[in-house]
Amino acid sequence: MKLQKQKSFYKEIFELTIHHFNKSKIYRKILNNFNFNKNKKYSIERLPFIPVRFFKHIDLKSIEDKDVFKILKSSGTSGQQSKIFLNTQNAIKQRIVLKELFERYVNKERLPMFILGQNPKNNGYSYDAKTAAILGFSMFGKNHQYFIDENNEENIESFLSQIKLKNKVLMFGFTSEVYSFFSKTLKNYKKKIDLSNVTLLHGGGWKKLEETKISNYEFKKNLRTNFNIKKIINYYGLVEQIGSIFFECPKCNLFICSKYSDIIIRDKDFNVLTNKKGMVQLLSLLPTSYPGHNILTEDIGEVVSNVNCEKKHKEKMFRIFGRIEKSEIRGCSNV
Amino acid sequence: MFNLPKLKIEYLVGSGKINQTTLQPFDKNICDFLNEFSNKIILSKFSIKFPDLIGLAFWCRNKNLLSLKSQFYSKDLRFGKGLVFHITPSNVPTNFVYSLIFGLLAGNTNLVKVPSKNFFQIEIICKTIKEILKKKKYRIIKQMITIIRYNDQEINLTELISEKVDLRVIWGGDKTINKIKLMPLKPSATDITFADRYSLSCINSKKILNLNSIQLNKLTSAFYNDTYLMDQNACSSPQTIIWLGDSKTSNKAKNIFWKSLNQKLKNKYNLPDIAIVDKLNQLCLDITNNKKYFKNKVFSNYLHTVEVKNLDKEIHLLKGKWGYFYESNLKSLDQVSKVITKKVQTITYFGYTKSELSNFVINNKILGVDRIVPIGFALDISLNWDGYNTINHMSRVIEIN
Repeated sequence: MKLQKQKSFYKEIFELTIHHFNKSKIYRKILNNFNFNKNKKYSIERLPFIPVRFFKHIDLKSIEDKDVFKILKSSGTSGQQSKIFLNTQNAIKQRIVLKELFERYVNKERLPMFILGQNPKNNGYSYDAKTAAILGFSMFGKNHQYFIDENNEENIESFLSQIKLKNKVLMFGFTSEVYSFFSKTLKNYKKKIDLSNVTLLHGGGWKKLEETKISNYEFKKNLRTNFNIKKIINYYGLVEQIGSIFFECPKCNLFICSKYSDIIIRDKDFNVLTNKKGMVQLLSLLPTSYPGHNILTEDIGEVVSNVNCEKKHKEKMFRIFGRIEKSEIRGCSNV
Repeated sequence: MFNLPKLKIEYLVGSGKINQTTLQPFDKNICDFLNEFSNKIILSKFSIKFPDLIGLAFWCRNKNLLSLKSQFYSKDLRFGKGLVFHITPSNVPTNFVYSLIFGLLAGNTNLVKVPSKNFFQIEIICKTIKEILKKKKYRIIKQMITIIRYNDQEINLTELISEKVDLRVIWGGDKTINKIKLMPLKPSATDITFADRYSLSCINSKKILNLNSIQLNKLTSAFYNDTYLMDQNACSSPQTIIWLGDSKTSNKAKNIFWKSLNQKLKNKYNLPDIAIVDKLNQLCLDITNNKKYFKNKVFSNYLHTVEVKNLDKEIHLLKGKWGYFYESNLKSLDQVSKVITKKVQTITYFGYTKSELSNFVINNKILGVDRIVPIGFALDISLNWDGYNTINHMSRVIEIN
């Protein structure tokens, strides 16, 4: 299997690097200090990347302030939030690509959509990651139903009965909320429930689930055996690269790298790794209004080269293990 | 005598009954006890895993205690101040026991509050102490050691203990210290505070160029021990390296020095992934936000150097960890005095004589700095710490005429 990205991807990512180099003063300053030379040829692995955490400290834009159409913010469960500045063009591009990927890897038709959450109140300008995800995926469904209503009430009866009425539905939620819905809410629910008509899409961190020590595999197995859900798709993506997200193959449970994105796994010396765990670097062709096209995340992952899957993937495939450990630092300051 | 409340306090050594005993500094029984403690720690199967335990054991072996005793001998008749309350820092696992040993050597009864974090070293140390204290010959010392743990939120406990003691020793960040200082002590009691400090290195560039490879290797190993052993995050680990000499020589010297250091890091230092991200992020922040930033060099993910210009009295804001060093060229040692404030604790040096250094301190009427030690000795604990002669500060003089 070919792990090299197509030439066109490389050309575009290089052009994007030059674009941000020209348009963002801060980005240019950093790249200059990384000894980046825009007239030189670099292999894709050698192109400069910046840490995703940097977006939490500094406002990075490749557009004029007046052209900011939307600001996305990371969920910020742990301290400061990232800020992502979008112009209309970039926002539209995100939607188009997300639609294409969704139709390709999740479902072609628009299904009745059941959301394990609340209808997000949005002011149309500043969004957090959660709102962005709900709004983003809502485009692909119809007759949206929310499990939690405006009065913060859970409507389990009507939610379930509505699902039963339909032929095929899409259910969406954040991993931790999906988990609590099935393992807590429905566990106490008396009647036996058959949800074989549900396609379940979930994403977002496993952080809250770390204490439960449940793995992705066990999680899926539970849902299959107890609720008869056939199609469960996890996705992986960062607010810094919304749109070019990674859907999981429902058969082999690996994430799929689309033509809009790439992943590079690096060791402690930043050497490129295949079939070994390492730090995750993500590349995306989507970010044009902010320099988030090539970033070092704080996740640990592995690119898998020999995938034995009936789907016969041509794309690069990978798995994610979770966050980098917050190691205990020695020393005596800031006690 | 007083009793500590049983509730909300975990007793690692001792019970809630505090009986005061005072002894003279370097009491024989205390030294015997510490030497036995040293032996037990060395022999414990855990000491191999924790280099800080080995360091501790070496520090309180008989030979070192005798040499300390000869250094700190005073003609005065001295006794411990009485009951000492030690509030120890939350992220140096062995710090609490050094504080305790200072207190014991000075002849005091000690009540030590250890951090709420469950460091393995704390468990081993306390178990060992408890074990030795079972011996009859140490029944007096048994009354002199109580080690407790309670949640930092229980401020009233800190308040309650503070009212009873003769001396309070506070280790910690500026905020913690200020908060605790607000809690009243007995009128006759005092505080000793060990606050957040800043440290730097001064290197005579010309002398680096004269080193052969063995000497260079020895020097960079010593520098490694000062910094990487504590993730460069101990108060006495240098954050900024000042290269002294003409700039051409200094540029050559630093290149030789860092390369030699970098070579040994990969096999020696366990670099966590989070450190790699942290350092890359800090580099991006320095490039964009730090007005003193001049240029950087990434020798590897193990070693980043950032050259700064116009060093001033804000030098303590330049803080790196996990092998992220700031550096700057200066012409001579005298110029270093311009950046030294009371925040500066340790200067480690290479290529100067003791008399050159004392001239530098005296001639420039230096405002800060508590220790000037050769590279390799930054983490050595001395009975002089943060400018205190701890034995003297923890004991009282009885005058008999």
